[in-house]
Parts: sequence; C-alpha cells; structure tokens
Amino acid sequence: METPAITRPRRHHAILLGCVLLVVLVMASEALRWRSAPAAAAAAVPSVSTTKPGRVTLIELSHAHIPAPQGMPSAHASTLAALPGDRMLAFWWAGSRESGPDVKVFASTWANGAWSAPTMVVSRDTLGAELGFGVRRVGNPVAWADRAGQIHLYVVATGLGGWAAARIAHLVSQDQGKRFHVRRILPTSPLFNTSALVRTAPLTLDDGGWWLPVYFEIGNKYPMLMAFDANGNPTTLARIGSSTSALQPAIVAVSKNEVRAVMRDDSEQQLVQHAASHDGGATWQDLPALDLPNYSTSVAAIRLSSGQFLMLHNHVEGGASSRSILRLSISDDMRTWRTIADIAKGPAGDEFSYPSMQQVGNELHVTYTWQRQAIAHHRYRIQPEGTT
Amino acid sequence: MTLPDLASQILYGRIGWAIVAATVACALWRGAAPISRGMLAAIMAGSLATMALPGNLSPAWYLGLAFQYPSGLLVGCCLLRLTERWNGVRRSRAMQQSLAGVLAVAGMLLYLDALGVLTSGYYYAGFGGVLTPFVAVAAAGACALAIVQGHARGTAAAILGAVVLFSVLRLPSGNLWDALLDPLLFGWALVALLAGALRRAGRRASDRIGAIDVDVDADPVSGPALQPLAAEHFSSLKEQVGGQ
Repeated sequence: METPAITRPRRHHAILLGCVLLVVLVMASEALRWRSAPAAAAAAVPSVSTTKPGRVTLIELSHAHIPAPQGMPSAHASTLAALPGDRMLAFWWAGSRESGPDVKVFASTWANGAWSAPTMVVSRDTLGAELGFGVRRVGNPVAWADRAGQIHLYVVATGLGGWAAARIAHLVSQDQGKRFHVRRILPTSPLFNTSALVRTAPLTLDDGGWWLPVYFEIGNKYPMLMAFDANGNPTTLARIGSSTSALQPAIVAVSKNEVRAVMRDDSEQQLVQHAASHDGGATWQDLPALDLPNYSTSVAAIRLSSGQFLMLHNHVEGGASSRSILRLSISDDMRTWRTIADIAKGPAGDEFSYPSMQQVGNELHVTYTWQRQAIAHHRYRIQPEGTT
Repeated sequence: MTLPDLASQILYGRIGWAIVAATVACALWRGAAPISRGMLAAIMAGSLATMALPGNLSPAWYLGLAFQYPSGLLVGCCLLRLTERWNGVRRSRAMQQSLAGVLAVAGMLLYLDALGVLTSGYYYAGFGGVLTPFVAVAAAGACALAIVQGHARGTAAAILGAVVLFSVLRLPSGNLWDALLDPLLFGWALVALLAGALRRAGRRASDRIGAIDVDVDADPVSGPALQPLAAEHFSSLKEQVGGQ
C-alpha cells in the first residue's frame, strides 16, 4: 500500500523536472538566436549605383540562339546571371514539352563572345534524389551570383498537381555553375508549402544580399519578395501590395528607398501592373497599372548603370497575339515609357516571350523564348546619347 | 528567419510520416477497437522500416511530394493516439474539442491569408525574429504548466513537443505555424469538431425524446418545474450506463 504513495510524488517530480528542462531548452535556444539576430537582421536596402549618368542609346551587335541540347524540341523561361570578367550564365528549361517528365534545366556560359555547349544542371530525378521526396516536374529557373562567387539557382519544382502546386528549390554551386547541390526547398506557404514560383531576376542589396521575386498562384495570384543575406540564407518573406491578379514581379530600385515592381497581369484589365515601396521594400502600395498592354505575359526590367530603366514586355497592337511582339522600352522614372525597338515580331500565334536581360560592362544582353523551341540571345552596345 | 538544414528535414520527414502512417493504419484497421501491444509495436516498426526505404520505394517519397513535411503538432497528436492505444484507451483525447476549435480558427485565418483573400501576412510572421520566439517560449511555458497541473496533459505534451522541435532545430520548416498546424491537422480538427457537434446534437435529441416520453407518462397536472429533473433521469445516456 505504501508503494503508490511514494511513486506518485516521484513521478510528479520527474514530470516537473522534465517540463522545466524543456522550457529552459526552448528559452535558451531562442535566446541564442536572439543574440545573433541583430547583425543579420539589419535592414538591407537596394544597391543603387549610377556610374555614367545620362541618356543612352542601344546599338544591336548580334543576335543568335543559345546552343540547344540534343533531342529537346521545347525550350522556355531563360534567365541570366552576371559573372566576374564580363561573363554570364544562362539557364533555361528544355524537354519534349512543357511539364514533360523529361524536362531539365540547362546552363550555358557566355565568355569571349560565345556560348558554351549546354549542360544539364537539374532534373526532377536529381532534385528528388537530393530532397528525399519526389518532384513531378521542374520549370522556371532564376539565377544569382553572390559576392563570394557562389551561384544560387532557384528552380520551380512541382508536387502533386500543376504549376499551382509548385515549390521553389534553392540550389548552390561553388564551382561557377558546373555542379549544383540542393540547399533546401524555400518555405513560402502554409498550404503544404505549395504554389510559390519564381520567374524574374533578383535585385542586389547593399549588404551583399539580394531580393528574390516570388509569386503565388492557386486561384488568386499575388507577388511576394524573399530577402537573402550575403550568405544566401533567407531573412524575410513579404507580400508585394494587395493585388490578387498580379504575378511575376520584376523589381527595380529607383533609389535606396524607392523600389518599383512591374508585373504580369492576370486580370481583365490586361495592362502591366505596378507597385511601389518608398521605405526600401518594407511596405508596398499598389499603383495604377502602366499604360502598356499585358495579356498575361512575363516582363523583365532593369536599371542601367546610366540610371535609366529598361523593360522588355509583350506589346499587343493590330492583329498581334499576346506574345507575338516583344518590345524593349526605356524610361527615366519607371512611369513614362517610350519604345526603343520591337526586338522580335511575328504574325499572330508566334511566341517571343519570357524575356530576361542583364547589363554586362557596356553591353546589354537579352534572352527570350523563341517560338517555344529555342532561347534567343540579342546583344546591344550601350552608349551615351549623342556619341558614336 | 532561421531555417533547418535539409538533412534534418529529411530525417524528420521519415520519422514524422512513419508515426502519422502508423496512426492512420491503426485507425483504418481497427477503428477505435483495442490493438495488442505486440501488434502496435509491429505496425510502428513496419511503418518506420518502409519509410526508411531508399528513393521512391519509400512512402515518404510520395508523402513528401504531396504534403512535404507533417507539422510537429500532427506528429505529436499521432504519437499521443498511439500511446493511448498502447495503454488500451478507447475514447481518444488526442484531438480535444478545445484544441480542435483553436486549430480550426487559426487554420482558417492562416489559409485565407495564404490564398490571398486576406492581406495580413500571418504566415510571414511565423518567421519573425521577435514575436515568434516570444510565442514559442510562452506556449512552452503554458504547456509545461498545464502538464504539471494535470490539465489536458496529452494535448499539452503534444504542443510542447512541437514547440521544442521548432525552437531547438527549427523543424519542420523554420516557420512556427508550420510546427503547430498543417492542412492535414486542420482537416482532423474540423472532423473532430463536426463529430463533437453531431455527438452533442444526438445527445440533445435523445434527451428531448426522453423528455417527451416523460411528458406522455407524467400526470398532466404536475408542474413544468419537474420536467428538467425527469428529463435528466430518463436520458438515453443514463439508460445506457444503467444497462451496462
């Protein structure tokens, strides 16, 4: 009869001790992170450098297709990352068809005025093997070269369902893009972490970090921004504005405080959507759409070292279809745009879409999807207006 | 924002899904009926073994493809249910009505926000460097207090486990809400609420029938003040208990 009377207090004491230890463990873990947080969480602002202020003109130097991988008739969604030494890396996906099981992400290096032969960097099999769970298909890649020379590659990888069930895989290369290893799947949504995609280029921050534009697309479509520190670790995730029909944000810094996003439109308005932040990206406001047509197609925008802004977008006029004209426009303030040139134009039904661009030295490089069969590359010389 | 490394996520995913799968297997096979400890151990071992299989031979390959990782609280609730089965408890308290209510409301807000209907950014707050650690410590303290005082011990232990896993290793995703909720747990909470509501409605209906029976039998001149007492005495629940 005495045993339970002795056991009960002992058990109670053991439970009490266990609970206290667990609470102390939680407090200590959070306190340790808290101590290391201030340096990492210092608010980074966009890097804005204007080396040669003034207006510029663009002179086309060449246009060609990036060499395609053998036996891959479909190609789409190219992206560019600048490397040191006026070099570049292009990534895109290719396969038998969009969403096909054989779709893989390929890379080619631009050096000494030519593209290298394409190499496969990610497939659903290589991704699944590293993640420990299955991936149904891979899609849009986005790349970034950090200050330490690492290449960060973000690839859309779908779970159970179509593109709306996509997740974003973050891969890193330590050897200039020869081999990539999965770092993680980025956490972006509480819904089985699905429906987050990437398409548009990151924006550099003054602390060596970058912003990765992200978007959500189950039903409602809205843009987001994930910030990374200089080591490539995510620091914050936030929504851009409150629109439910804008996606694929192309982010451009106007100044250290003012940042603008131009976006693909999924509404009946069919105009390039527009949002702005006046506090270095902390909060965003939706702005009236730009007076540029957008029939649900991806746009690209950059700030040149001259301080002017360029945008690639699909124009629609006359009998053109939604993606049959790819236009390059220029602006001094990200509000008023004037056409430089239609860099690709064809009859209705043709497709010149998903553009990407990068300034490398005094050259502008543009890539885009050519008829869903290849990745086209145009090269322009950027020169101050009035010079030859 | 501090995120877990991929290796720990993979290990967590395998173990977590093994616990969830064993719980579901027991429920599908025996419902609430008792299972011998030997059989329960065999189911758990089998579940762990199959989850540990390489590549697409493992069910974790497909579960991860569809759902990525279970929340810490889902794993905790499943562990609680398995423990109840081990101890021969038939009436589960793994998903109490109070917990189900909180999860249903929190899930509704979180998922409406994630779907873009709301613009409050609740999910992003789960990565926060200020509010999140505070909520984690407060939740751990509250759960520890509940356990020590003997209030809803199982539920409190499940939540405490999820919070410890989050605070120490940032599992499963680095977001506090992913540690405490996922769509599967949200679904479980909704089913538990529905089942609870149906149970209560059934009880009320049987009480009403009991009351009508009493009315029919009662002397028409007896006052209404006697009815509640009679209804309580003749409730079907009491009859069942009496019958045993």
